[in-house]
Amino acid sequence: MSDASLKAPSLLPRLPRLARPAVRADTPEASRARTGVLFTLPAIVLMLVILIVPILMAGVLSFTDYSLGRAGFDWVGVQNYEHLLSRSAYRSMFVATLTYVFVVVPASVGLGLGAALLISSLRVGGDFYKTIYFLPVMAALLAMAIVWEFALHPTLGIVNSTLAAGCDIGWLRGLLTGAWLGGDPAASWYGQGCADGFPLWLGDRDYAIWTLCFIGIWQAFGFNMVLYLAGLTGIPRELYHAAEMDGAKSGWERFRLVTWPKLGPTTVFVVTITSIRSFQVFDQVEALTSGGPMKSTYVMMYAIYEKAIQQNLIGIGAAITMVFLGFVLLMTLIQRHLVERRVHYS
Amino acid sequence: MKRLLSTAALALCISAPAQATEIDVAYAYSSLFDPTFEEIMQDFTEAHPDITVNFRTTYEQYEDGTNTVLREAVSGDLPDVTLQGLNRQAILVDRGIARSLEPFIEQESDFQKDGYHEAMLDLSTFDGEVYGLPFAVSTPIGYYNMDILNEAGVEEIPETWDGIVEVCQKINANTDHEAIFWYWNITGNWFLQSLLWSQGEPTIADGRFNFDNEAGLKSLQTMEKIFDGCEMKNYSNADARKSFSSGQIGMYFTSTSSVGFVDSNKTGDWTFRTAPFQGIDGPPEALPAGGNAAMLVSDSEDPEVLQAAWTFVKFITSGQGAAAVARTTGYIPPNKAANEEILVDFYEENPNKETAVKQLPLLSEWFAYPGDNGLAITQTIEDHMESILVGDVEDMEALQQQMVDEVNEMLPEPEGS
Repeated sequence: MSDASLKAPSLLPRLPRLARPAVRADTPEASRARTGVLFTLPAIVLMLVILIVPILMAGVLSFTDYSLGRAGFDWVGVQNYEHLLSRSAYRSMFVATLTYVFVVVPASVGLGLGAALLISSLRVGGDFYKTIYFLPVMAALLAMAIVWEFALHPTLGIVNSTLAAGCDIGWLRGLLTGAWLGGDPAASWYGQGCADGFPLWLGDRDYAIWTLCFIGIWQAFGFNMVLYLAGLTGIPRELYHAAEMDGAKSGWERFRLVTWPKLGPTTVFVVTITSIRSFQVFDQVEALTSGGPMKSTYVMMYAIYEKAIQQNLIGIGAAITMVFLGFVLLMTLIQRHLVERRVHYS
Repeated sequence: MKRLLSTAALALCISAPAQATEIDVAYAYSSLFDPTFEEIMQDFTEAHPDITVNFRTTYEQYEDGTNTVLREAVSGDLPDVTLQGLNRQAILVDRGIARSLEPFIEQESDFQKDGYHEAMLDLSTFDGEVYGLPFAVSTPIGYYNMDILNEAGVEEIPETWDGIVEVCQKINANTDHEAIFWYWNITGNWFLQSLLWSQGEPTIADGRFNFDNEAGLKSLQTMEKIFDGCEMKNYSNADARKSFSSGQIGMYFTSTSSVGFVDSNKTGDWTFRTAPFQGIDGPPEALPAGGNAAMLVSDSEDPEVLQAAWTFVKFITSGQGAAAVARTTGYIPPNKAANEEILVDFYEENPNKETAVKQLPLLSEWFAYPGDNGLAITQTIEDHMESILVGDVEDMEALQQQMVDEVNEMLPEPEGS
């Protein structure tokens, strides 16, 4: 045993000693603190190595023009961030990402809650619906994206061929074109589709992002449903009985006064996790639209992938990553804030 | 799954005899080339039982292939042979990753006789040295559903884009089929480069974007004419290819590489024909070569491994190996001997695959944009082409100027200025 190896661990306990100078080195408290630090050390090292250091590196790279495979790089200051603010492609990126998040989060949280309430009120068949709604969550999204690609094919896909089939049925066409309301059938959405073909769901910039949102909701709400179902089982029945005795007769009042407040913590969690997952949307975009048409589905994750992985431009890719981390951090801070304000009555 | 299975099948084919030399190989587009390599490996194992070939995970497309090799060069895990897009070879030569093939070519006594001829080797020659042997070559061609054309009252396939637009209008007026899909966003701005080459202009000249001229403007105007005049919809290529195969689109313009796909996925009873690519005022003066070349990127110093890798490269690009390319894909083997001796009967029976062979004399360079921003430039140009397609831009001269400015700003400064 050399001196060095004996000395090395003794460097560490200085941290708690600095923090609490009153405690003397040989007291049991100090020794416990020392052991505590030693126990957390592996976790701290791991966190540094696989999380903090890479983030710091990405932060440093975002100020350079590093390109993969090149020996060196030049410092470019905040130029990458400037491009993020000034170039139209990145404006489209923020628009696409925020559209996706602000559509998918409320819709999938709302549908998840609705489905959970309906299923929990069922006496039979609850498991059946749970399975059906949860299936899209379990399926690999990339594989599902291929199914969607087939379904949304402009002419051969089931969506447009079903819509087109309706054109030949007189009464259905009249109904869908709004002719029964006295409208002009040719001017309606359905009438135009019958005449010129139905939309390219993924190839038309007026539809592509909404189509992806739809797929995102379809994929996410089953997960939210399960979380809400778990939350619902945690509400004591007595509360409902008490509310009823106090005069809350209608289902809506019971929901407003008991269910919704008691689901507060679940809602905070569900909204946060859905927001973060929506910011991270990638699979559908890569498989279905590649960010197009006209950058209308150019979400942040895809932009990072396109710049840093496909085009080897690590600098700008790192800058988008930092902005992305900023968004996610913001979401997490809001969640912490809400949790600390105790949204739940307990 | 399909890729996994075929890789497994390949691995089974190549049961190694004792003390075989092992080489690693990687290629792109598994859906196109898996059957090709299956066929080649049967012959190769027979001819060279002492060489074991390990196939790595296939690259998704050429850009992925180049990026993978660049990463592997950093981590010291290069394969011995890689198949790279013809326009992506330069960067591997520049970065010193690819090995010159000259020392190996010198050993071969009858290299010319094996069917390698000058024009093809030019595509892979840098500073006077050959770095790659082209493996599969494609040119852009037109695919036609003759039943739809006849229904529209068209008998002859026109030779210019103006003629194609007239055909479109007849199809739109007389039938209820889609008229056209022109694969404008094919990898590496290949179609824009085709329009430029068809007027005899290279896309890159002296390190600058050679677009600030009459040919550049005409290319944009031609695209606008095709998109607007044909009322072309913004299909994805995968969707368009499915629609064409099921007989719903009249004309489909893409690389010859999809002929195999259409042949095997064609549904319905209609006549499928291919014809040479159109030009602006007459037949094209030149066309960019697509496809890929086999390059030696081995970091091994073992002469046996290098010799084995060279044997493999030579095998797949000549003789029966090259013929397998034509038989299993729509690509053409860039090998005179294979085309003129082994495949004569094949082309008589498959005239749709011969269209590209007829275009061989036009074969010219498919340019990659130099510098770190090379791939980003490809995307920028694609974005501008899309703005024509969706009708965002009316003024082609302004668009031309914008493209020239943006691309030249992203290109590295030419040396000596």
